[in-house]
Amino acid sequence: MSHNDDEFYVGYLPEAPAGIAAHVKRSILLILLLAAGVAGALAALQSPFDPGAFEFGIDRTFEGVLLEHPYPLLVVDDGEYPGSHLLVAFGKFGAESLTAGHDGKRVRITGSRIWNDQEQMIEVHELEPLGDARQSLAGGMELGTFSFTGEIVDSKCHLGVMKPGRGKPHKACAILCIRGGVPPVLRVESESGELSYLFLVDEQGNAVNDRVLEMIAEPVEIHGEVERRGDVLTLRADPASYKLL
Amino acid sequence: MSAGYQAVLWNRQKKRYDLTILAGILLYIGLFVGLGAALRPEATPETLIIRAFGTLALLMLHVILSVGPLARLDRRFLPLLYNRRHLGVSMFLCALVHGAFSMIQFHALGDVNPLVSLLAGNPQYASISAFPFQTLGFVALGILFLMAATSHDFWLANLSAPVWKALHMLVYVAYLLLVLHVALGILQTERNLVLIGLLVGGFGWIVTLHLVAGFREKPGDAPHRGDVIDGYLHACAVADIKDKRARIVCISGERVAIFRNGDTISAVSNACQHQNGPLGEGRIVDGCITCPWHGYQYEPETGASPPPFTEKIPTFNVRVVSGEVYVDPEPNPAGQRAEPAPIRGSS
Ligand code: HEM
Ligand code: FES
Repeated sequence: MSHNDDEFYVGYLPEAPAGIAAHVKRSILLILLLAAGVAGALAALQSPFDPGAFEFGIDRTFEGVLLEHPYPLLVVDDGEYPGSHLLVAFGKFGAESLTAGHDGKRVRITGSRIWNDQEQMIEVHELEPLGDARQSLAGGMELGTFSFTGEIVDSKCHLGVMKPGRGKPHKACAILCIRGGVPPVLRVESESGELSYLFLVDEQGNAVNDRVLEMIAEPVEIHGEVERRGDVLTLRADPASYKLL
Repeated sequence: MSAGYQAVLWNRQKKRYDLTILAGILLYIGLFVGLGAALRPEATPETLIIRAFGTLALLMLHVILSVGPLARLDRRFLPLLYNRRHLGVSMFLCALVHGAFSMIQFHALGDVNPLVSLLAGNPQYASISAFPFQTLGFVALGILFLMAATSHDFWLANLSAPVWKALHMLVYVAYLLLVLHVALGILQTERNLVLIGLLVGGFGWIVTLHLVAGFREKPGDAPHRGDVIDGYLHACAVADIKDKRARIVCISGERVAIFRNGDTISAVSNACQHQNGPLGEGRIVDGCITCPWHGYQYEPETGASPPPFTEKIPTFNVRVVSGEVYVDPEPNPAGQRAEPAPIRGSS
């Protein structure tokens, strides 16, 4: 390296010797260019995120019939957003404590929407009963027994609150959410990249939250009966039979 | 230089460095978040912030770790070494933004304290693919915090140099933890080839640079063998030493810096009392040996810093015989005067 060896840098003197100063300037410029390249490359090459959105801070009102089991669901018959809405609470919690005692009843719910192209969900902020009359809803429709391979995710983050709402970075969060009562759902990706969601219940049709904690965010295979309730698909199988792949 | 801990003084250069660091941070974050939001409109701002600050902090750590060996290979990098402290503190702050946002996003608002969730939420410590990588980041952040908090010379003096040095060597532990934090974290889900390439390439660069710099250093470590006169060891020829400069010679296991100060020769221990900087690569400026790293100064004949500073290093007795320098291998106590040897003294 040929340079003027007579120059000597003393940091507390007001100016650096010319040759050293020029070298430092070149090096810093190079580092800045490198940083810009790294920033651009890393930002541009992130994998696309799953679709989904969360209307954080926007409250809307929904009216419909509430189903408590296996996971709280509001079936909305008219208005801007008809169809089945899964219900969850603020933070990393399910909505059971808010919906308890309202099974089959008409309620008005105020909350924020979470949705993707397949599923709708409401983060419940307020729930108001609308009379006591129980309403019956058509029961579930059995669709048959199948095997699925996918990843267990917490439906709240996955449907739109977080990007990525799945995979390794999100694993600890999904464990918290599912333990807190957010419905666990199997995310199945078809070969053409289409996503579908199966809410997990045990053989008796009950919630399985505490029994799937060790299999969250890992590839699993589940063999079970598929049932449609409203717009929501459930997969009925004993969690002990889930296979980690 | 302990009086008032004023070793690093503020001046125009220092301000320019700080502005450059700030501009670099803004450039990186702006580019990452801007481009990320444009190309991935479905991403949340939190994710872009977490990723931008995490990758920036790791990039800055690479620069910080490179400066030491680069300065040993080419002295013109010494200004970066001199100004490294603020880069370190800025890096810690960027890592803190990343860690805090991750902590809030992934671990807050649940049924346990966020810290419990972070350390124990995912208990699969025995797995590789499922390993709770956040813990690795958390420990690394703790180390970076300790280093940033003790980076001031006040702590160097109060912890004693060996303790401080050991503490700051932990940066390598933090670096390894962070490589694993990324490899066992995001890379388990996202096989981003650029990220993998940068991680592996960055690691290779840091290791190679340290090996090369260490290798270059080695020859000086070989013990010097020469004639002995009256117990004084032959070290070098006067003509080998340029004026106001030194030669470093290894005598009885210790490196000695032999300076030529105009018409006289003086020898001192090569290790600067501040952070063991190589004094023999320094110069005599305004009559004082000046350390190439942070500019601590010592009088050549006494090894003592000029008042009001109180640092002292050992001196060595020297003689010049027929243009050849001889050094007494027995060091004098730090700060004790050793008579400079006139270069045209005895013949
Ligand atoms: C409390 C401490 C920390 C926590 C909780 C934490 C958490 C995380 C999480 C959750 C991710 C994945 C985010 C994603 O992409 O979706 C991540 C990635 C990453 N972290 Fe950390 N981290 C911590 C400390 C650090 C530190 C100290 C550094 C570097 C100085 C760092 C550097 C990175 C890098 C480079 C990535 C990969 C890029 C990315 O995915 O964001 N982390 N960290
Ligand atoms: S001045 Fe810091 S090592 Fe000498």
